Amino acid sequence: MRVDDLPMDDKAKRMRDLLSSFYSPDPSISPSPDSPSSRPQQITLDDINSTSFDPDHYMNFLVEKSNLEGLLQRHVEMAAEIKNLDTDLQMLVYENYNKFISATDTIKRMKTNIVGMESNMEGLLEKIMSVQSRSDGVNTSLFEKREHIEKLHRTYNLLRKVQFIFDLPVRLGKCIKSEAYADAVRFYIGAMPIFKAYGDSSFQDCKQASEEAMAIIIKNLQGKLFSDSESIQARAEAAVLLKQLDFPVESLKARLLEKLAQSLSNLQLKTKELSNASVDSKDSSKEESISCSEPAAAHEASVREFAEALRAYCVIFPDSENQLVKLAQDLVTKHFETTGEYVKERICSAELLRVLRVIWKDVLVMDEMLHEAALPDYSLEAAKVAVKQYVASRFSHLLHDISDALTKVHVRQKDGGKEYSLQVVLETSKKAVLQGSMDVLLDFRQILEDNLELLVNLKDLIIDLVQEGFQDFFRALDDHFLLLSGRNISPSQDQGLTEGTQGDKAFAGLVLVLAQLSVFIEQTAIPRITEEIAASFSGGGVRGYENGPAFVPGEICRIFRSAGEKFLNRYIKMRTQRISLLLKKRFTTPNWIKHKEPREVHMFVDLFLQELGAIGREVKQILPQGLRRHRRNDSNGSSASSRSNPLREEKLTQSNTQRARSQLLETHLAKLFKQKVEIFTKVEYTQDSVVSTIVKLSLKSLQEFVRLPTFNRSGFQQIQLDIQFLRTPLKETVEDEAAVDFLLDEVIVGASERCLDPIPLEPPILDKLIQAKLAKTRDQIPSAS
Amino acid sequence: MQGGSSGIGYGLKYQARCISDVKADTDHTSFITGTLSLKEENEVHLIRVSSGGTELICEGLFSHPNEIWDLASCPFDQRIFSTVYSSGESYGAAIWQIPELYGELNSPQLERITSLDAHVGKIKCILWWPSGRHDKLISIDEETLFLWSLDCSKKTAQVQSKESVGMLHNLSGGAWDPHDVNAVAATYESAIQVWDLRTMKKTNSIERGHVRNIDYNPKKKHILVTAEDESGINIWDLRKPKVPIQELPGHTHWTWAVKCNPEYDRLILSAGTDSNVNLWLASPSSSDDITSEGLVDSPTRRLNPLLNSYSDYEDSVYGLAWSIREPWIFASLSYDGRVVVETVKPFLSRK
Repeated sequence: MRVDDLPMDDKAKRMRDLLSSFYSPDPSISPSPDSPSSRPQQITLDDINSTSFDPDHYMNFLVEKSNLEGLLQRHVEMAAEIKNLDTDLQMLVYENYNKFISATDTIKRMKTNIVGMESNMEGLLEKIMSVQSRSDGVNTSLFEKREHIEKLHRTYNLLRKVQFIFDLPVRLGKCIKSEAYADAVRFYIGAMPIFKAYGDSSFQDCKQASEEAMAIIIKNLQGKLFSDSESIQARAEAAVLLKQLDFPVESLKARLLEKLAQSLSNLQLKTKELSNASVDSKDSSKEESISCSEPAAAHEASVREFAEALRAYCVIFPDSENQLVKLAQDLVTKHFETTGEYVKERICSAELLRVLRVIWKDVLVMDEMLHEAALPDYSLEAAKVAVKQYVASRFSHLLHDISDALTKVHVRQKDGGKEYSLQVVLETSKKAVLQGSMDVLLDFRQILEDNLELLVNLKDLIIDLVQEGFQDFFRALDDHFLLLSGRNISPSQDQGLTEGTQGDKAFAGLVLVLAQLSVFIEQTAIPRITEEIAASFSGGGVRGYENGPAFVPGEICRIFRSAGEKFLNRYIKMRTQRISLLLKKRFTTPNWIKHKEPREVHMFVDLFLQELGAIGREVKQILPQGLRRHRRNDSNGSSASSRSNPLREEKLTQSNTQRARSQLLETHLAKLFKQKVEIFTKVEYTQDSVVSTIVKLSLKSLQEFVRLPTFNRSGFQQIQLDIQFLRTPLKETVEDEAAVDFLLDEVIVGASERCLDPIPLEPPILDKLIQAKLAKTRDQIPSAS
Repeated sequence: MQGGSSGIGYGLKYQARCISDVKADTDHTSFITGTLSLKEENEVHLIRVSSGGTELICEGLFSHPNEIWDLASCPFDQRIFSTVYSSGESYGAAIWQIPELYGELNSPQLERITSLDAHVGKIKCILWWPSGRHDKLISIDEETLFLWSLDCSKKTAQVQSKESVGMLHNLSGGAWDPHDVNAVAATYESAIQVWDLRTMKKTNSIERGHVRNIDYNPKKKHILVTAEDESGINIWDLRKPKVPIQELPGHTHWTWAVKCNPEYDRLILSAGTDSNVNLWLASPSSSDDITSEGLVDSPTRRLNPLLNSYSDYEDSVYGLAWSIREPWIFASLSYDGRVVVETVKPFLSRK
């Protein structure tokens, strides 16, 4: 159902719709194709057209809604509409009838047309059948003749083959004579299947003859293959032919390879000679290039020879590259192994360069011949390893040198017991560090500046290696220092009790040297090296930038700063430990409660001063003189000076024990008002600072020892006398007099507190005893020195 | 480092060396301390930390006949303690009992339960079994180690066994292993030796001289901490007695005393003659075999083990005691008789 394009008034359209809905089986479909424009109108009239139309309701609705005039008008409209519908209906019926008539006509015409066709078809079938029967007749008549021809042809072929086989030995012989091995092999291979099938029966003789001929051919071919005089082309051909004859080529190949490998080992030997030669040349003169040119030339020739052989082999056995590559790589590897061995010795970069250059030349020569081996890349890798080894070995040698500089003197001293100078040790080791590092850098720069292709590629790597090497080197140096200083610590502690040995003392000196050396490294060596590295070893970057530069001077400086402090503190600790031992012996041995009256200054004072003297001497050799008094605000420990000097003197003369209590009260009071005197200040790298720290620590120990026993009067007086005697020399050695005074006072106060009857010596007696002691030392000194 | 301003102080009349936590007092955090005065009448002070922790209250003040060189409280009876005393020439050791109702008495006297008077030499210290009720007692003098059997009710103490170590070794102190009732570590001039009390035989030794003080880690077996004159503090594993598992720098001068915290196993307190008390955090030592401090210098170990340094002291600090009841509180005693009680709470969070 289609809405036509031609304009239609609503009524006509509605009518058509209605009719079509009449023809269509489902009434609900009919209005569906309606255009939306007609829809609203339809809806108003829909009532009348729908199936559910209720005439009564419609009438009621109309009557209710319209006046008479309207109703009449409506009536007229309806009458007209009905009439229209009638005419439309008539027209539709008529049209349909027309169509029906024309259809009937067409059918009638079709029926008349079909009638004559069948007879034509039958004629066609008959003709085709006759064609087929004729062709069959031709086929059968020709068949027999064709078969006969085919049979004849086959016999002819066979006969030709037989002829060929009978001729084969002769032909092969001819080929051997004319050395046309290729033809011979081709013939033989052609005859092979027949020999295989009938060789044991009809053609036995023939087979034997040709096999004999072939044996000769194989022999000749083999000879050709192995003879170096033949052209490579010919040898290659021979190999191919042999392979075609199913000859076990592999074994031949293996034999040839063996030969090559043998020549390789010859080459190897030469490399060694070369390096030996260059070592000799180093000793003999500076004209290395001349002296080593001869072996180098010989070496080059042999390498060239080897390369030729390689190429020949390669051509002969085209599928054997892998083995050859391996062989060539073996050679390179061996070269670098030799280099590695060589690097372990102490060589300078020039020698390494020469060796590398020779190797590179070899590699280039071989690369020409055997490109597939990628020898340059391979040797680059190997060179990387070699350079790495070289750098590592240089640094380890440097470390060794420094440690030698430090320990050799140490050892010598141990053996001879001769007076040695710490200063010398310090200077030599300083020099070893700085000069050694500079030499190493110079060496590396030489490598870096060389334009050998092999090394140019490795430039970045070398820079990184050098930087990394220094970083690791200084770390290792720090560890080594610690090891040096730590090695003797436990023995020194144990032996310290029984023997205050010379070795012990020397060792303390070593620790002091280490301390100062660490400072030197931090303040002088590292900046110099950093400068040098920045100047010629910047860049790199193989490592990747996220890791930052390999050489971090800041970190190294920090390590050595802390190491220096550690060593200085360790030195002080070791020294004070010895003094502590001395004091301990002094205070634990006698029975202080039954002490006899003091007659002279006790000898421990001498020992103490001796120790201080030794420390002073050591320190003077190593550390710089302090220029200024140490800073007070660095104090990290303090103690109050509890009594002022005059007050104490006064109190001590008051022997009354009753007053002791008020004295203690006064002490407390005095403590409140007295300013704190710093005892433990930060140690600096100066003679004064170190000596005064040791003195102060020792005096503090003395104070602690004095607090432990109980004294009788004489014991106390002995302490008083000893301390009084110490006062002057100590003040001479230590810059911080106030602290020394304070600590000495503390010792006397401590002793008086631990004394049952603290009556001090009368000053005149004290003075007399001290003078006597001084006189005695004066006497001893000239006699001793 | 902050000063010691956070601590609360208490002054003794005279100089003093030793202070001890009253372990058996479960109701209060209290300490007991005794003075060291050669000529005056010495006193034992029982000090209690007030409930707010802001004050130190003197709970009891008792006179003691001689100057006190060592003092230890009984771990199971808060009224009992031991002292080692000296009268100038001779040494003695005794077990004391604080009288009941001492607060109401005018001038309370200590009851002497018994004297440990088998000693000949200088008595160094008396050890109680540190963790709980045990009727044994150890006393150490310069040459001999005594094991006493104590009966508080009968007021007797009998020597159960003794072992003389000879004249050459000078015993200087010791510690009773809290994990093993039969093991006691004694310090010598040149070594630390561990004794088995059943056989009175030496079972283990650490060759290390100048040990001033020694303490077992109460939380970890086999771990021993020593304080040494010059070498600071060393932490040892008795199974590996060759080298310390950790070294701490200690003090500027001698490290006199060292105490492991009873609760937080890595906290160590040390007192030194540089008038400081230092609080340390030992590195977790479960698996590491650090042989020497210097050789293994990985960045992680660069953490400063020193948590705090309390420096509010006028003189050398000899006495040191953690409180068991409140393990974040410790008392320290400097030679001038000043008791300072501090809390380490601010540092616990950093563990």
